[in-house]
Amino acid sequence: MIALRNLSFRFEGSTRQALHDISLDIAPGEFVALTGPSGCGKSTLALALGGYLFRQFDGQASGSVHVNGLDTREDAIYDVAEVVGLVQQNPEAQFCTLTVEDEVSFGLENRRMPRADIEKRLRWALDIVEASHLAERTLTTLSGGEQQKVAIAAMMAAKPQVLIFDEPTSNLDPTATATIFDVIRHIREVAGITVIVMEHKIDYLLSFDPRLIVMDHEGRIAYDGPARQLLADRHEELANLGLRLPGNELADAPPAARGRAQEVLAQTRDLQLGYNGNAVLKDINLDIHTGQIVAVMGDNGSGKSTFLRSLLGLLKPQAGWVSVCGQDTRTTPVSVMARHVGFIFQNPDHQLFADSVGAEADFAPRNFGLHDVGTRQRIDALLSSTGLASYRDAHPYRLSCGEKRRLNVVSILSYQPRLILLDEPFIGQDWGHARTLLRLLRDETQRGATVLWVTHDPALARAYADRVLFFSSGRLAIDAPPEEAFGALKRTGHAGYLPPGDVVP
Amino acid sequence: MSHRPRIAYMPSDSRVHGLYPLLKLGWLLWGSLAVFAVHSPWLVLAVLALVWLALRLAGISLRRDVRGLRLIVSMAAFLFALQALFMQKGTVLCHLWPLGPGYLPVTQAGLRSGVYVGGRFLAIILLSYLFVMTTEPGRLAYALMRVGLPYRYGFALITALRLAPIFEAESNTVYQAQLARGVRYDVRHPRRIWTIMRQLLLPLLVSALSRVDALAVSMEGRCFGKYPTRTYRKGVDFTRRDAGVLLFLLLAFVALVAYVVARVET
Repeated sequence: MIALRNLSFRFEGSTRQALHDISLDIAPGEFVALTGPSGCGKSTLALALGGYLFRQFDGQASGSVHVNGLDTREDAIYDVAEVVGLVQQNPEAQFCTLTVEDEVSFGLENRRMPRADIEKRLRWALDIVEASHLAERTLTTLSGGEQQKVAIAAMMAAKPQVLIFDEPTSNLDPTATATIFDVIRHIREVAGITVIVMEHKIDYLLSFDPRLIVMDHEGRIAYDGPARQLLADRHEELANLGLRLPGNELADAPPAARGRAQEVLAQTRDLQLGYNGNAVLKDINLDIHTGQIVAVMGDNGSGKSTFLRSLLGLLKPQAGWVSVCGQDTRTTPVSVMARHVGFIFQNPDHQLFADSVGAEADFAPRNFGLHDVGTRQRIDALLSSTGLASYRDAHPYRLSCGEKRRLNVVSILSYQPRLILLDEPFIGQDWGHARTLLRLLRDETQRGATVLWVTHDPALARAYADRVLFFSSGRLAIDAPPEEAFGALKRTGHAGYLPPGDVVP
Repeated sequence: MSHRPRIAYMPSDSRVHGLYPLLKLGWLLWGSLAVFAVHSPWLVLAVLALVWLALRLAGISLRRDVRGLRLIVSMAAFLFALQALFMQKGTVLCHLWPLGPGYLPVTQAGLRSGVYVGGRFLAIILLSYLFVMTTEPGRLAYALMRVGLPYRYGFALITALRLAPIFEAESNTVYQAQLARGVRYDVRHPRRIWTIMRQLLLPLLVSALSRVDALAVSMEGRCFGKYPTRTYRKGVDFTRRDAGVLLFLLLAFVALVAYVVARVET
């Protein structure tokens, strides 16, 4: 079905090969999990299989890619699209219309399919992703998981023979993640097509018993074989590549690193938060102590990010109050709160403002008037410990995704805020990057800082957090140490939030 | 995170919402043309009455749903007062100050002119509100494509409609990220303001470019542009009710033309 021969690709302006001499055969109906460290070329390979890489991106290519007899380097993209469907990472970014029915019909209408046939195919595609009940909804009213289902249905509608998923669950909460993998399982059973999933979360894919292809940092195929066998035989080599392997979160966490609750750093009382007069969160009463890592969990839209924004004063309470470092957010300007509270947003690109990596690290200290030698030394040390020192004069947008994320963290730690807020910082990051940042943050708690960290990753939360907050239906449903919190999640039927393969009391 | 814009589509199952979008576009154009072409306060009042009726049928409350209504009504009242006070032709109806014969006469022509000018302003604004609040933008785009608008332009409109709120939310996030890193917006130096704006716009530009890449892959992957024309799942949703409204609009248009011709001849 798929044959790649010595495929190499280098993006225009880049000095490194994104894909390096890749040769590969994939048989019809095979299920392939493709993984590797961040920036290893997984997404680039997906674009090459669909033919997009050679038309929409400037660069130097060599070698060949054939899918079902079509040469994706040479043949028309529309012909390749009849065979290959690509579901991208962010469903919302790939929508072309405004409603579910229009979105799923879009490709069929472009192919000039008669109306009656479109209607039949639309129903079939929605049915296969178990989303028939969403048919009449507008896309903006869907949850993240529902949006991804519709994006899959939109691709399935054309009945491709190969369906590629590029990190399809990276933006989703654990419940939605489990749903999407169920959908992939159903598609495989019903349609029997070739499925390739680019994914960091290998745990979730093991039940498919897939063929596992692992790429390395150089864009090469490092390992290729049955997943279970590879994980057993090559565990150490795979771990050295920075891959997240089942169970290695706990092994990698610093021993006895739990932070002890010290003095109260932040408080909320009878806090109600929302937008346009509508409440998103109600009755939040919390004391947050110094020296801890606090994992904030809950479904997409449960109010986690809203809660974080209120701690910096970006969102004022509808009722009740928030106090951080003794400052009431209702009356203290954000510019004053910001000196004590660092905030790292979800998308690394949304928070890069300076023209060089060095200036970016120094951006906030300058704004706060910190020009002392200690700050400079701290920035130097942070850039070195995160492997960014050699990029000091480079433009931040020239960095890889993982490097940008590390720079975001450096730019916050440079002025030593007492409360550090992170909104899903590890999306699209491999285990190696995530581990580096978590260790850096753990060090910060040793000097008394507190980290509040929104995460969809139960295994990481269990390994690194001192306390777990779980929001549900607009309320703080669980507030407990990790073991106790995951036990409560199990009892309340939130199975998706349990660390994969873990035994929770 | 979202806030409702001043004027936006309000989803509902009302009869007005269900009307064929191009008919409502025609109604907007007809109404605007009529109140400009015919200098009659009665026509303006009739259009206002129809708009009010349509808003009621659409389940839209002027007071509750039309943001900025106070400003619009104040502006209309100001225009009315200007005409009523300074247009002094014709029969004097009364004097505003002091009571009885004296200063500030209000004439019949002044009142007529006030109603016409103030009412015309109000009518055009409310006609536009009615159209925007009851017409689903996507349905309008599809209707335009069905009557001949090249589908590339139609989907350009749909893409703009889809991306506008996303970019608004993103610009808000970037702004908040700036505040979180100690950027102060209360500066006056032009160079500093330019630097802050550049820092706001660059992340948005980078984000927009990455969205364009993802969207291009998604569209080409679904054969957008493969043929010069395309089919549509939905038919033209022009119903008997739409036909009735169209007939009414046509009759009103004929009456309007006849009235204008008669006025010109006399």
